Amino acid sequence: MIKFLFKGILRDRSRSTLPIIIISLGVFLTILLSGYIRGMLGDMVVQNANMDTGHVKIMTRAYAENKEQLPNDLGLLEVEELKQNLALEYPNLDFTPRIKFGGLMDAPDENGETKGQGPVAGIALDLFHQESGEAERMNLKNSLISGSIPDQAREVLLGHEFTEKLGLSLGDEITFVGSTINGSMTFQNFVISGTIKFGSPVMDRGAMLIDISDAQQMLDMPNGAGELLGFLKSNSYFDEEATEIANDFNTKYSSSEDEFSSVMYTLKQQNNLASLLDIMDSFSAIFIFIFILAMSIVLWNTGLLGGLRRYNEFGIRLALGESKGAIYRTLIYEAILIGAIGSTVGTALGIAATYYWQITGLDISSMTKNAGILMPSIIRAKVTPDLFYIGFIPGLLAMLFGNMLSGIGIYKRETATLFKELEV
Amino acid sequence: MKLAFQIAYKNLMGAGLRTWLNVAVLSFAFVMIIFFNGLMDGWNQEASRDSIAWEYGQGQLLHENYDPYDPFSLEEGHGVLPSAIANEFESILIQQGSIYPDGRMLSVQLKGINLDQNTLKIPTPILKNSEADIPVLIGKRMAETTKLKEGDEVLLRWRDINGTFDAANLTIAGVFDSNVGTIDNGQLWMPLKKLQSMTGLDNQVTLGIAKKESNYAAIGGWKFQSKETLLKNLSDIIATKKISSSIFYLMLLAISLLALFDTQVLSIFRRQKEIGTFIALGMTRQQVVGLFTVEGSMYSLFAIVLGAAYGTPMLWLLAKTGIPIPAASQDAGVAISDTMYPVYGFGLIAITILLIIIAATIVSFLPATKIAKLNPVNALKGKIQ
Amino acid sequence: MKTFFALIISLFWVAPAPPDAAAILKKVDQNMSADSQIVESTMVIHGRRGSREVTSRGYSEGKFKSFTEYLAPEREKGTKMLKLEDKLWIYSPSSDRTIQLSGHMLRQSVMGSDLSYEDMMEDRKLLDMYTAMVIGEETLSGRKTWVLELNAKVEDVAYVKRKTWIDQERYVPLKEELFAKSGQLLKKTVMSNVSKIGGRWYPKSINYKDMLKNGKGTDFNINNIQFNPSIPAHIFSKASLKK
Repeated sequence: MIKFLFKGILRDRSRSTLPIIIISLGVFLTILLSGYIRGMLGDMVVQNANMDTGHVKIMTRAYAENKEQLPNDLGLLEVEELKQNLALEYPNLDFTPRIKFGGLMDAPDENGETKGQGPVAGIALDLFHQESGEAERMNLKNSLISGSIPDQAREVLLGHEFTEKLGLSLGDEITFVGSTINGSMTFQNFVISGTIKFGSPVMDRGAMLIDISDAQQMLDMPNGAGELLGFLKSNSYFDEEATEIANDFNTKYSSSEDEFSSVMYTLKQQNNLASLLDIMDSFSAIFIFIFILAMSIVLWNTGLLGGLRRYNEFGIRLALGESKGAIYRTLIYEAILIGAIGSTVGTALGIAATYYWQITGLDISSMTKNAGILMPSIIRAKVTPDLFYIGFIPGLLAMLFGNMLSGIGIYKRETATLFKELEV
Repeated sequence: MKLAFQIAYKNLMGAGLRTWLNVAVLSFAFVMIIFFNGLMDGWNQEASRDSIAWEYGQGQLLHENYDPYDPFSLEEGHGVLPSAIANEFESILIQQGSIYPDGRMLSVQLKGINLDQNTLKIPTPILKNSEADIPVLIGKRMAETTKLKEGDEVLLRWRDINGTFDAANLTIAGVFDSNVGTIDNGQLWMPLKKLQSMTGLDNQVTLGIAKKESNYAAIGGWKFQSKETLLKNLSDIIATKKISSSIFYLMLLAISLLALFDTQVLSIFRRQKEIGTFIALGMTRQQVVGLFTVEGSMYSLFAIVLGAAYGTPMLWLLAKTGIPIPAASQDAGVAISDTMYPVYGFGLIAITILLIIIAATIVSFLPATKIAKLNPVNALKGKIQ
Repeated sequence: MKTFFALIISLFWVAPAPPDAAAILKKVDQNMSADSQIVESTMVIHGRRGSREVTSRGYSEGKFKSFTEYLAPEREKGTKMLKLEDKLWIYSPSSDRTIQLSGHMLRQSVMGSDLSYEDMMEDRKLLDMYTAMVIGEETLSGRKTWVLELNAKVEDVAYVKRKTWIDQERYVPLKEELFAKSGQLLKKTVMSNVSKIGGRWYPKSINYKDMLKNGKGTDFNINNIQFNPSIPAHIFSKASLKK
């Protein structure tokens, strides 16, 4: 029976192609839009996560207490070991260390004497290991004005305006002057590998990005870090998961007696993000409901149309003596088949596209020329588990109900008038 | 044409539930477009207003040696405002110092401001009424960072013009709540005269805030930055936000138009006999096409009416209560408030209405063109083509 | 009756007259200063997470020339500092660059200690900057001291007022306090372990403390000091930084 129907669907293009295309398209759009809403509403959250909070962040208690002052002397020690433990214990997360620091950049003239100086705000992150994903998180590729991202020791990315102000160019050697976590003065030469522009005046003037290994060496914090940021491998923040991990971590590692014991905060616990996340959740629920409603109308119409198109066929089949119930049932089975095929294709395409969109992001920076902005100019969608059914169920049901409704007409037809109706 | 409207109206009302579902979805797209744009406009307006009120005034006159992004330039970047224009600016002196909350040193900027000023929203009357020897105002972010509150005393160390150390307890006279992080983080606001006498920099000023809108050409030793220049960064950011939210509501609009398109296809398909009758009765095909197009675009009229019916109270309420937004991106140097209040301009509403009507008309017209190809005889017979 | 008065008067006469503060400081100078010095010392810096030691050898000639080379720990080894008049250069072997410290950078602390570069830079004689007077006597850890108050007589000083406690017998300072204009105590120095070295009394341990910050301050211990050695002139040149 199913095989027979299936052949029918395959061979009668008017029965299959259009409805399947429309259902696939509808389901696809539903999923993509749902994913997009979650991604878009979350971009402020994403921004925070990438720049500052991570999905979870580990600090020492003492560091956390004064974190605005960047007290690296109170930072984490033995970060590699900690990272290895964490990788085993929390395989869903990628952990990456960061160090924020301040200091002076000193540019020498040809005699090595100071030509110009300026204060810098440094961020050290794992740039040398591609898999750390840090360059993408900081949106470095798009922020580069010239040059490239550092790929070897002693290379630095500097704020574009800063290099212009000091008259520096790519390849120039400059010296960072700052203090180690012990307070000693520290000097470190860097070669400018690239210049960046984030769009935030503060960052453009004084940003300095280096690899974490350089910072550890320079600030005398071997194997140390100010903060250890954790990112869920799915690239999107899920509060329940993060909270569970943080609770587990804090039971295992944190002690209120030891001010240097480490403590994990979830994204939601940082920067007052809790209320934003709650609003987002209710917003996206409303949007998705409305969207599914709209999609259902489209699919319902398609179902109706499919039933109506076959008015003649049903007449002939009735005339040939097939029972009304049998015709109605085949119609419903067909609808389920078509709905299932369309919804599966749509869901698969939708999730694939959403996932692609989540990974690569949509760069809208070209639409905002001159606006190089710290806020994400890359829009990302977000794959959530509900996407697997959020399009599928309405896709299937709308097709089914549409056909059920249009099929009722079958029962209304009288055999006596059939030949007249069909004019055969 | 009047007839077309009447027929269209009757047809739509007759179709019942499906009409209302289509209308509901379209109306939702309509309300959302207005809401999102209103939100962005509201943010833009409020952020600009706040930035002007708290930080920029009607423009800033900076001492030529002062670079706002280089705290070390404060040492040299001050002078006496030219007397010819001194009255047109509110004087601000900025110096550096350190405070020691809980024995940890924290570098701060000391900002002196006139107590009788009303150019900026900094609540200087609080300073004026304070009896403390060194009263200061701090913003809510600074209060959080330092864990200081009103009435607290903390030791301040600074140096005078000769580099001589001085230290004294200052008193937090008040904590102000501003959406503008750049006048809050790491800053202490105090009476200008007090700061000038503490540092020995009598009459010295780092920058002036213009009281009235005016274009100041180069003034010897000072550089003028207009309000617009200062606001540029902010409007750029909001422009980006607008685009990212437009993708969302355009998708919503697209799907509601797809629903409308589909409905049109269906109704043309179902009503072939009707079409045939119209033509048989002497209507030209163009007239029939017009009839169906009007019917389709009437969805948008219904949607606008419906949208206005529930949207007006809803949007009004949202504009009244605002959308709570946590100050998550303060440090990006952009003013963002705890609560965003959408603002719906007349232009925005008019353009949105026009957009919905035109879009609905186009998607109604497209399937209707099929009518022009119909054979009226077959159509009359209800023959499927 | 007469004898009684005479006795009273003689008592007054016998009571030690408050000595001239300038004279005291001169005697202190004889102990503390030399035409040239070579000092090997260890600085103990106390942080929140433990202490660390930095060893250095310093050469100085008069008040205007000094050269310091750090010997340990490994990280600081080879870092050199040269001060000539009012200029200060630091050389770091890791970057192979010599940087002149100026302005705000002089306010940084030396090797994380409670001492700033600026504190080290002051090379004017105390009596050129301050008027001194004896304001009392006190006993500090069993030693009788004169308490001297120094008030700035020039404008460009970092501290307008200092108080210093001078051992009455050995003419060695045992304690010093530095004040802000407002009278707020900013820094405190305590000298101890006074020993006789090369015919002079000299405090071999000094504790510096920034009174505004929490912490135990910085200990400065002298391992070895030579007075008036002859130091080759090339030491006090920028060329010696890179050696």
